[in-house]
Amino acid sequence: MKKVLVVDDSLSVARQLEKIISESGDFTCVGHAKNGAEAIKMNHTEDPDIICMDMNMPGMDGLTALRTLSVMDKEVKVVMVTSLGGVGDKFTEALKLGAKNVISKPFDADTVLRILREL
Amino acid sequence: LIHQFSLCDKGQDMAVKFFGQFMVEHGLVSSEDLLKAIYLQDKNNLKLGEMAVSMGLITPVDIQRAHNSQMSRDMKLGDLLVEMGLLTPVLLNDVITHQKKTHLYIGEALVQIGALTGDELQQHLDAFKADQAKYESNGIELPLRTNHDAIWEMTADLTFKMVTRVLDLKFRPGKCTHLSSVIPDNFMLAAMDLSGDVSARYLISVSEGLQKSIAKAILHEESVENEPVEVLEDTVMEFINVVCGNVAAKASQVNVAIDINPPVVIHPPTDGLPIPSGHTALSFPIHIEDGDTMELILLIKNS
Repeated sequence: MKKVLVVDDSLSVARQLEKIISESGDFTCVGHAKNGAEAIKMNHTEDPDIICMDMNMPGMDGLTALRTLSVMDKEVKVVMVTSLGGVGDKFTEALKLGAKNVISKPFDADTVLRILREL
Repeated sequence: LIHQFSLCDKGQDMAVKFFGQFMVEHGLVSSEDLLKAIYLQDKNNLKLGEMAVSMGLITPVDIQRAHNSQMSRDMKLGDLLVEMGLLTPVLLNDVITHQKKTHLYIGEALVQIGALTGDELQQHLDAFKADQAKYESNGIELPLRTNHDAIWEMTADLTFKMVTRVLDLKFRPGKCTHLSSVIPDNFMLAAMDLSGDVSARYLISVSEGLQKSIAKAILHEESVENEPVEVLEDTVMEFINVVCGNVAAKASQVNVAIDINPPVVIHPPTDGLPIPSGHTALSFPIHIEDGDTMELILLIKNS
């Protein structure tokens, strides 16, 4: 089973994503980071295959963390899960920094799992 | 007028999107192909100054002078080039017309790199337009003029749509009013600061009952009676995060850049939250079917 790390400052979003991931049968959730800095640390300790990460977080935001992760770890696949997905500049920047996809909030389980399975 | 979308609208595609994102999220093109198309657009779609240079009307040194001048003046580059005597208004118009004529749209770029055929592009564009039609504005009137009226009307309209789409609540929007001194007391407010081309604070004020309704919808739970306070409050913050992110997406379609900041919770004092000086406060009541009322408040910084 592929390991997924969830990164979001929102407890409720993290809970939704963890539920979708753990009930899928294909993925296991290895933890929840609340900002970009925690995500970088947990990427080191938990060694996930996939990171689902928000953009707008206090402290280190998602795009800054993505920039660091893309240099530090070429293996991990990052999918941004954000309410800013429809902002063209943010979306493009995420792809240019190496994100595999960008899921808009509000999201549904089918879209999240389809995108994770396509990775 | 009760706002209620059919249930089949819920589920997929609940957010404001642009075409490239729609294509990647649906797996219709790969993110690699979209990036190639974006790079092709970047190469083809020249900025106003670059276009004027390519037409032989000004030099790169002229652009640099105009950019330097822009740092101290809030003017568009084209207007500044005219004011500096580097372009006539007629020539500026020629540059803008040529820019529009040669603009490569993302769909056309995807066809040019071979990721789509022309027929597939048309088919996907039709599906995209049908999907995004639900975010067309329904027209909301403000009681007074503010900075960026159209943005605040769109913000209220999108909030109403998200109350239906995300929270699945039936409601009737009340008349927008101007608050002159305080934001009335309520169980809790969630707030998000908006910056960039606008300067404002977005607030949603809810009762204890509505906080639970929002929590049930966001968490997809039948009951939230045993949920800790921080989770209940977080769901209201996440709701405004979703609304404001989609507001930023919609604003970007009309070239208004809005940055959003992480949301916060406010527990107002019993005599209400004073409105800071230099701000205009607009209230949009949202009368829920069960008799409760949620309130959207926009605190807009005056220019």
